[in-house]
Amino acid sequence: MAKNMMYPLYQLGNPQLRIFRTDFFLTLVRPGVPQPEDIVQFRIPMKMTKFDVQNYLQKIYNVPVAAVRTRIQYGKNNKRDYKNQRIKVPDYKVAYVQLAHGQTFQFPDLFLEKGKTLEPGSFEDIQNKFMEDERQRQKEDPWRAGVSNWFGL
Amino acid sequence: MAGSWAAGLRLFCGRVSAALRPLIVSRSGGTAGCSGLNQCNFHKTAEKVNSLQHCRLLHTSGPLKGLEEFFDDPNNWGESTVKSGASWTIEQLRAKSSEDLHKLWYVLLKEKNMLLTLEQESKRQRVAMPSPERMEKVDDSMSRLDTVIKEREDALRLLQTGQEKERPGDWRRNCFGQTYWYTFKEWPIPWHLNRKYTSKKFFALPYVNRYIRLRIENHLRKRARQQRLEKQKWRDLQRKFPHLAEKPQPASLSPGSS
Repeated sequence: MAKNMMYPLYQLGNPQLRIFRTDFFLTLVRPGVPQPEDIVQFRIPMKMTKFDVQNYLQKIYNVPVAAVRTRIQYGKNNKRDYKNQRIKVPDYKVAYVQLAHGQTFQFPDLFLEKGKTLEPGSFEDIQNKFMEDERQRQKEDPWRAGVSNWFGL
Repeated sequence: MAGSWAAGLRLFCGRVSAALRPLIVSRSGGTAGCSGLNQCNFHKTAEKVNSLQHCRLLHTSGPLKGLEEFFDDPNNWGESTVKSGASWTIEQLRAKSSEDLHKLWYVLLKEKNMLLTLEQESKRQRVAMPSPERMEKVDDSMSRLDTVIKEREDALRLLQTGQEKERPGDWRRNCFGQTYWYTFKEWPIPWHLNRKYTSKKFFALPYVNRYIRLRIENHLRKRARQQRLEKQKWRDLQRKFPHLAEKPQPASLSPGSS
């Protein structure tokens, strides 16, 4: 992994340092503050730079990148545990990636409600429960190992 | 670290075959339209998938979809559980070529990025993440892949140079007489010109001999006390439960080991 990799000392004229198996993980997040349409927000590892983000997206994901801006989000330090010691929420780096070629991005709704939920106690709900029960009852006993019912009590 | 990735990387996504990803079963049938992204080439790929439906089970590598790849297959959105295969075992990975492993690393990387995105979004919306065990599976696979590659590198290094360790080192003493593993480091100048290196002390003067003796004595006493305690515990157990005496006592308590 790139984290444990020891690069040789850089001398002028040496080839660029290359990462063969990167272990940088990006998290695409829904922006808390409304952003322009062509901006994608990521949480990135602290060690990652703007150029790393640009290369990462262009080479691995094939996303055209116009510009990258980063900042470091300070994690809150005002929480206290039962011994009244401070608990630090870890810091993280945020990258704002501007897409090129007029591309736009909108964060999709990943937890779409599929169909409406039945209210408990309604006719349909009771019917569904009944059908589920019947289906369970008519299932074969897995412990009988396919022996026919004739041998049972 | 301004690293630039290998140019061959651009090709890998199209080539990765189904044999490389038993883990990502759920994403095989992705024909739904792109909802979040405008101007993506997803409609083109959807046509391709339709035309090649008979070999969908054979070839499941996602074509380059851009930012779509940070999200799960749209069919799985809103599901409480998503089916997934087992993680890669080390035997399976050992059978793969290095090139395949390199491709698989990026498949797993993308999967992990997707799961991280999903996890963060579920945290934000305060709902349970669908099938969180996938994350563990990906982590396991990645760490195993890493060990396999390390094994290969070790073997190659042993063949070529005979060096056992990745970074050469030496057992050295510090100024307190403690012995520790010193890993060598690359310097831009020779060691005798390097003031930072020459100022380091890798020896102990005779006045620390007394403290070395004390340290050894402390260590021996600690060990003896521990062994005594274990023996006493075993004796008490035997007194309480006489049937234990028939069994052989643990190896740590036998008189030979100390």
